[in-house]
Amino acid sequence: MLALARLFIICFVLMTAVFVAVSLWSRSVRKRKLAREWDEEIREGDREAFIDEGLEDYSHSLRRRLILLVYVVPILLIGVIVYLVNFY
Amino acid sequence: MVYFKWAFWGTFWLIVAAFFHYTLPQNDIVRIVNTEVERQELNDWTRMFWATPDDQSVDLINRDVQFIHAVTPEGDIRVYRNEDTGWGWPPYFKFDTSNLYAEASDAVSTKAAPEWYAVKHYGWRNEFLSIFPNAVSIKPVAGPDVRIIPWLNIVILTLFFALVWAIWARWRRFRRNRIDPVLEELEDSYDAASDSLAEKRGRIGRWLDSWKSKK
Repeated sequence: MLALARLFIICFVLMTAVFVAVSLWSRSVRKRKLAREWDEEIREGDREAFIDEGLEDYSHSLRRRLILLVYVVPILLIGVIVYLVNFY
Repeated sequence: MVYFKWAFWGTFWLIVAAFFHYTLPQNDIVRIVNTEVERQELNDWTRMFWATPDDQSVDLINRDVQFIHAVTPEGDIRVYRNEDTGWGWPPYFKFDTSNLYAEASDAVSTKAAPEWYAVKHYGWRNEFLSIFPNAVSIKPVAGPDVRIIPWLNIVILTLFFALVWAIWARWRRFRRNRIDPVLEELEDSYDAASDSLAEKRGRIGRWLDSWKSKK
């Protein structure tokens, strides 16, 4: 059981690091896109407000929730490997 | 400096290659000739080439290990250990050691009437260190000439080299944009500083010279 706990902790730490990195990266990409959209197409009203509003929408989007797959996929992968190696 | 750089990267890639060669699965087409259990002393540094089965036996320095003996179509000998990897490294999550032992015992065949099996395994055989590859699974194959394409290894190595390439490309870009300009600037200001120093020395020299008696 100690080995399972160790695996769980190591995986959790690694996946959390990846999750944080991907979250920050994805948000910055969205921010850059919004800024470019304002610069090229809108060019009227408050630029900051437009970007903040876009990021607020992004916070509730499916795309942001999909980053949680970072946790789900490795667990599924381990499950598949356990099945294939021992019971297939 | 150039030699040092090459030695460093050579050693680095050698270690990476050895790591993958040890950890990734390989298939042998063999005829299984025997299965047995043997007591092993596991008290020196080669301990790391053996599994750590469960919590109770972590402190044990010797224990029974199952072995599978096999012969390749060319007549080479293969000896595999048969151990659980459990939840540890490498991540094969193998728990069915006893089942595999039964399968392997069932697969034993004679030279006169050979039955061929693909033994999936990882690890190294080394006679001097007394270490053995760990068998992960066995399955019957049609004959001794069957070729198994290692799809899993192809996928894992492709992903790994894609990752290396991505990091390398980003590092090059970072260096070109951020580090090279700073180095150039340093070089320029060093040149400027040494020029002005030379000029200053020249002036002080001339002033000192003015105190010397003129010949």
